[in-house]
Amino acid sequence: MAKVLMKGNEAIGEAAIRAGCIHFFGYPITPQSEVPEYLAKRLPEVGGVFVQAESEVAASNMIYGAAGVGMRVLTTSSSPGISLMAEGVSYLAGAELPVVIVNIMRGGPGLGGILPSQGDYLQATKGMAHGDFDLIVLAPSSVQEAVDLTIRAFQLAEKYRNPVMVVGDGMIGQMMEPVDFPEVEVGPPLAADDWALTGCEGRSPRDVNSLFLDANDLHNHNVKLKDKFAVITENEQEWELYSCEGEYDVLVTSFGMMARICKTAIDVLAEEGIKVGLFRPITIKPYPYDACREAAQKAKRLLCVEMNMGQMIQDVQLATRGAKEIDFFGKAGGVIPSVEDVIQSVRETLAKTGK
Amino acid sequence: MKKIFAYTDGLTRLPTHYCPGCTHGVIHRVVGEVIDELGIRGTTVGVAPVGCAVLAYKYFNCDMFEASHGRAPAVATGAKRCRPEMSVFTYQGDGDLASIGMAEIVHAANRGEKFTVIFVNNAIYGMTGGQMAPTTMPNQRSTTTPFGRDVNLAGYPIRVAEMLSTLTTPAYVSRVSSHTAEQTVRAKEVIKKAFQYQIAGTCFTFVEVLSTCPTNWGLSPRESNKWLEKEMLPYYPLGDIKRPEDFEGGQHAGN
Amino acid sequence: MTQSNAAIYELSTPLTMVVGSYGSGKTEISVNLAVATRMRGCRVSVADLDIVNPYFRCREAQVLMREHGVRVVIPPGAQQFADLPIVVPEIKGMLEPQEGVFSIFDVGGDEVGARLLSSFSEPLKGRPYRLLQVINSRRPFTSTLEGCIRMKEGLEESSRLKVGGFIVNSHLITDTTIEVVLEGFELAQKLSEETGVPIEFVTAMGELAQAPELAALPAPILPLRRVMLPPWLKDEPKDDSSDEKSNRMPAGRVKPLFVP
Ligand SMILES: Cc1ncc(C[n+]2csc(CCOP(=O)(O)OP(=O)(O)O)c2C)c(N)n1
Ligand code: SF4
Repeated sequence: MAKVLMKGNEAIGEAAIRAGCIHFFGYPITPQSEVPEYLAKRLPEVGGVFVQAESEVAASNMIYGAAGVGMRVLTTSSSPGISLMAEGVSYLAGAELPVVIVNIMRGGPGLGGILPSQGDYLQATKGMAHGDFDLIVLAPSSVQEAVDLTIRAFQLAEKYRNPVMVVGDGMIGQMMEPVDFPEVEVGPPLAADDWALTGCEGRSPRDVNSLFLDANDLHNHNVKLKDKFAVITENEQEWELYSCEGEYDVLVTSFGMMARICKTAIDVLAEEGIKVGLFRPITIKPYPYDACREAAQKAKRLLCVEMNMGQMIQDVQLATRGAKEIDFFGKAGGVIPSVEDVIQSVRETLAKTGK
Repeated sequence: MKKIFAYTDGLTRLPTHYCPGCTHGVIHRVVGEVIDELGIRGTTVGVAPVGCAVLAYKYFNCDMFEASHGRAPAVATGAKRCRPEMSVFTYQGDGDLASIGMAEIVHAANRGEKFTVIFVNNAIYGMTGGQMAPTTMPNQRSTTTPFGRDVNLAGYPIRVAEMLSTLTTPAYVSRVSSHTAEQTVRAKEVIKKAFQYQIAGTCFTFVEVLSTCPTNWGLSPRESNKWLEKEMLPYYPLGDIKRPEDFEGGQHAGN
Repeated sequence: MTQSNAAIYELSTPLTMVVGSYGSGKTEISVNLAVATRMRGCRVSVADLDIVNPYFRCREAQVLMREHGVRVVIPPGAQQFADLPIVVPEIKGMLEPQEGVFSIFDVGGDEVGARLLSSFSEPLKGRPYRLLQVINSRRPFTSTLEGCIRMKEGLEESSRLKVGGFIVNSHLITDTTIEVVLEGFELAQKLSEETGVPIEFVTAMGELAQAPELAALPAPILPLRRVMLPPWLKDEPKDDSSDEKSNRMPAGRVKPLFVP
């Protein structure tokens, strides 16, 4: 297919369709409203289901119903709406339902603002909702990667019967870039035959449930979920190293769109003969701790750059186990650090290494 | 010999956990019988609530969801929209449906989602130990209205069936009761009709069933049935409140 | 600057309204057209009427336009970053034609964005205006003749105004080739035959403006310089000296325009 020019939000909607998902339930919120708007036009063309839910609470429970009857399903929202989905996400994780949830993040807390932010990193990776469970969380840094990772999200969700979240800052949702849609082979949702509620004709009835009255049963269920995530951690970590060949004194860690700005800064510094590496996790959960630690080994000092007040830095600290000093630079609320800002911060970090 | 009781295939053989004299059991029974008699057991998905009926997924002999508190209509929306050929029903208490889940039920009704809601109104929160429900009667005592429901502070009980029937979207909305054998027979007829409308793809269908909670009302089963009749029936009149037949080109004949 | 011998488009109607699908390139066109017109010595006002898009609106190029002497009409202060459909009162004045002044409305995407114009349809009766629909054949819903016609009808219905010309702006940002432009022109030609509405001009970004293929086209050219830059594209350091608030360009940076 020829390249098309798409807004990130539209591209995510189209990617879902290419991944075989023709069911969408969601509620409008800036800066992700183009996803429901795009799908409201597109899904009727492909015989799909589009429902504008009454709230994100309802949307997260509608996808529980849709996934429970064995259908691929998508919902999307932005920060305040994602908070409202916390309930549904916990139930989805408990019942092990494969769904894809996209968060096009905006500045918080509270109503915050409509401009881009990465302020929901910890929510997505650590504290989405009650109970012990782990989401798989993917963080694209371009519209093309948003397409690829949305498709990947459906595959991972079904492979592990686990909710998958794709997080992008508002910019990823709003910006236009040329994209290619890869050919994806889509069959019926994976393995749904074994557990989905399709009517008990010819078999015994099933349930989709997260209730375990017996403490031991619930403990065992938790252990099962933990074991599953251990397998995911083993198999599914993805990351990118940029400018990490050879020697460098400073390693920048950054994710999503912010990493793209960091790359330009690194290129500019390289022209001056200053070598800086970049570690960018693509799966921010499972976090590629080992890869991060390895990339950090060569560096004297690390600089974590985020569009928030310092969230991913906790994972970088875990990865390096206190072996390296880590500086932080970030802006929140919709202010995007510029290339010059990043260059300046790198210089400061570099100065602290004695160079 | 005449057979006076037989199991229905619509329910599993598991003994229910409901308190003695609680009408949740009999409501399960009639829903199960309807599913069985209509021959839709193999193509039905039910949605259990959070409330005393939280374990309903063990009792209905068909595929079942367990939903979060109040969200059964959203779960049912997801299921029915994706598999319109299946019969979908929710089974919800009054705290679940009329308090925490009010938004979900109103919007499902307004969208005209083609599933069936069995709304069990026992005027109290059973599961959590007898707190006030939106349907608790004026002056009725509960653990959170120890001096009786003060309508100046807590408002009046919500008549959900009447409220939903004000929506323009066509629907079948009816109220029945479970406190006598005759009323239960009538309840079954109405529930059957609701499922038939659903199967025909006609409209959203909603059956409110007045029910008892001897345990939290602090009454014997017999007294409970009397209390329902005396206190609830006058406030919650029985009968069809809205029928799809009444709907004429965008306007409700009666409204 | 060397140019191919293609005719360069010049504004001639007092009021030009740029409409089209999301991401068809209305903002780049509005800003470039405004600056080019200003460079010809005319007075120009640009109103940002995009109330549907939260980012990447021409208000983000306000400093640049003001530097070139273009009057920019946008909601005041921090309101411009609000998620609110704000239409400032000055807009009404721009509907009135004034000697030697050109007004440009950069309108939001799709029929949703164009709806705002419907409130002007009454005052605009009998006044000179041009409603120009931007065509980008590489956008999902306007890659076919049917799609463009549907878009045109949607725009006309929601704005209660008539499309008076097409702007061929087929592009893939940095991946644009002359083939993409020509493909867009071909689509617009069919569209023009089908609807009887003329092609107003063809845009060409940067180097493409010099392509000999363009000179052969039976339509004037508007050379474009990319104005709306994503934050990772490095260029000259931005000037933070002036009014701090209005210089804040949170989503996207603006590259100084090299005027043709
Ligand atoms: C989010 C949430 N809040 C509160 C509860 C606690 N809770 C469980 S059931 C219930 C009320 C149930 O009452 P009702 O729906 O009337 O059903 P009944 O038990 O009377 O059949 C409450 C408050 C919960 N499970 N989840
Ligand atoms: S607590 Fe009330 S509603 Fe619940 S089972 Fe017992 S009697 Fe029934």
